[in-house]
Amino acid sequence: MNIFQELFSYRQMLKSMVLSDLRTRYKGSILGFLWTFINPLLTLLVYTIVFSTIMRMNIEHYSVFMFIGLLPWINFSTSLLTSSGIIIRNSNLVKKIYFPHEILPLSNVIGGIINYLFGLVILCAAILLDGMTFSYHVVYFPVILLLQFILTLALSFIVSSVTVYFRDIEHILGALIMAWFYFTPIIYPESMIVEKYKFLFDLNPIRPIFISYQNIFYYHQEPNWNDLTICYGFSLVLLVIGWFIFRRLNRNIAEEL
Amino acid sequence: MNAIEVNNVSKSFKNYIDKPNTLKERFLRVGKNNYQEHWVLKSINLHIKCGETVALVGRNGSGKSTLLKLMTKILYPSSGEIIVRGRVSSLLELGAGFHPDFTGRENIYMNASILGLTKKEIDYRLNDIIRFSELDEYIDQPIRIYSSGMYMRLAFSVAISVEPDVLLVDEVLAVGDAAFQNKCIEKIKELKGKGTTIVIVAHDNGVVEKICDRAVWLHNGEIADVGRPRDIVMKYMNALAEIENKRLLREQQEEQEQQVQLAKSDQQNESINNGVSIQVEEKPVSHSKNRTGNQKIEITDVAFCDPEGVRKQNFRTGTPMYIHIYYKVNQTYENAVFGIGIFTSDNTCCYATNTYIDHYSVEQLGKSGVVICKIDPLMLIPATYFVDIAVHHENGEPYDYLTRLYSFQVSSDIRDQGIARLKHSWEINYSDGGSK
Repeated sequence: MNIFQELFSYRQMLKSMVLSDLRTRYKGSILGFLWTFINPLLTLLVYTIVFSTIMRMNIEHYSVFMFIGLLPWINFSTSLLTSSGIIIRNSNLVKKIYFPHEILPLSNVIGGIINYLFGLVILCAAILLDGMTFSYHVVYFPVILLLQFILTLALSFIVSSVTVYFRDIEHILGALIMAWFYFTPIIYPESMIVEKYKFLFDLNPIRPIFISYQNIFYYHQEPNWNDLTICYGFSLVLLVIGWFIFRRLNRNIAEEL
Repeated sequence: MNAIEVNNVSKSFKNYIDKPNTLKERFLRVGKNNYQEHWVLKSINLHIKCGETVALVGRNGSGKSTLLKLMTKILYPSSGEIIVRGRVSSLLELGAGFHPDFTGRENIYMNASILGLTKKEIDYRLNDIIRFSELDEYIDQPIRIYSSGMYMRLAFSVAISVEPDVLLVDEVLAVGDAAFQNKCIEKIKELKGKGTTIVIVAHDNGVVEKICDRAVWLHNGEIADVGRPRDIVMKYMNALAEIENKRLLREQQEEQEQQVQLAKSDQQNESINNGVSIQVEEKPVSHSKNRTGNQKIEITDVAFCDPEGVRKQNFRTGTPMYIHIYYKVNQTYENAVFGIGIFTSDNTCCYATNTYIDHYSVEQLGKSGVVICKIDPLMLIPATYFVDIAVHHENGEPYDYLTRLYSFQVSSDIRDQGIARLKHSWEINYSDGGSK
């Protein structure tokens, strides 16, 4: 049975994993599922206060601008971080039952994306409350979302399998992601980057994703299709490589745990 | 057609002495082989036909579970190949992936999906699963309130509901109470009837003989023997008894050595206290409160042997046991009587006799020698037995009396109860009406 058929036959497991992840994330807390909304709301609040009173940025509707990038970033970074330990956390499953292990990072990334979509409700509310409007450009949202999904998944495949062999990855990743955050135009517009170093920032593979989100929600313009296409190509290649690495490392994973 | 083909499969694990789990350690140790290779399976060849039920027997660490995990594809072989045809379900560990906060019903969906069922298939089986688990009113409660028996029942019900082509079972049949266990075995039999290929790791020999067509005996990662379950189990049990024998003998020896050491140091202490040096004498049989008598005749050693004189600790019911009593004559004696008594651990006397009762006259003893009590066949049922050995004067004056200083074990395949197996047979005489 080839792997695609197999993955398809385990679709119910994928669904169960995603659902139980969403349901148990805030299990036991009093507000429960509401945290899915409260968390981004609080983040928005803190950043708004910091950047509108202390570190003032000269950008109109700055909190909304920042929030547009921050939400997908939170999704991207938490997905990577949780993916890196996901096989270790599920070692009782991996060691005891056969199933395609791809399910683990896959369910994690999908769960993250769904959480991101819930967060978008807060974003939309913020946009309207701040007196901004939507343009037809939001129809491109799924295209960017898919790209984000592919890229996150590709990296998740790599970090989830490699972490089993090198447990350090989980910690290195934390530092790496923090650096990555500041080198990506999320809390500042791309125009603020000094021309001299712009080529360096252009190498950042996730940059087009965030720029495109800003384009469709904030600037109300078409995404840069050129950048997006290159990014799609890059992500797909990375996905193939990542999956290959995942498959290779997976053979001995039950022993390494 | 073969459902499972294991072709020349070997599997080794790396036993890291100090496992380099972090990047730093990896880099520091590049090229250093800091592990030992441990071969768990060595060139295993095994073909299992569709619909066959095969039992894997063997001691702990013989590779049974590893072989099963290789068949499930949880592990990959180091060399060789394994082909498994059809949908596989494995009962390696029950309840993997259960979430304590979810209800039984939700966990059925969760667990069954991990086993590879789709929503439709689970819907279709849901009622069967609940009925089989006998959890009716608890099914919508979170499973953290379940008792461990209920938990296992639910897990087993889900696992068995997959209706696979190949079912791999690893020692999980010990779930629930006796009634549920029987139900599980019935269910496995039912699957077997439907043509499911089953590989089962079993310690319960009843299971092996009841449901398996073939048994494979694994020993130290190699197939020691394959054949009819009854024969293989017999051979395996015999080998186990043999190993147990050796262990017990070794233990006994160590104990004796210890006691000799103790006795030596005791005597040395005494001699120092008295200011007189006494030559230390080796006494293999311990002096203790379990020993009485004036030692006119001294018992120097006792051994349980087979007819060839080989020492054993573990005897099969129905085989001969010879008790060798080594003695040494220290002073003049009269009318010596040698006796034995066999007791259970709760002090029930199973059998006791002596040379006087048996009208065996003890005349010449010389300076030392051995008295052999030949018990053939030994019809005790499996247990550990303790032995009294005595030599005394006909009128009761004790020369040497050892109380429960020795023990031996008895093992058997037959599960009769009591103390001794009485020779018996069955017969039925019946009539069909006629007399009213």
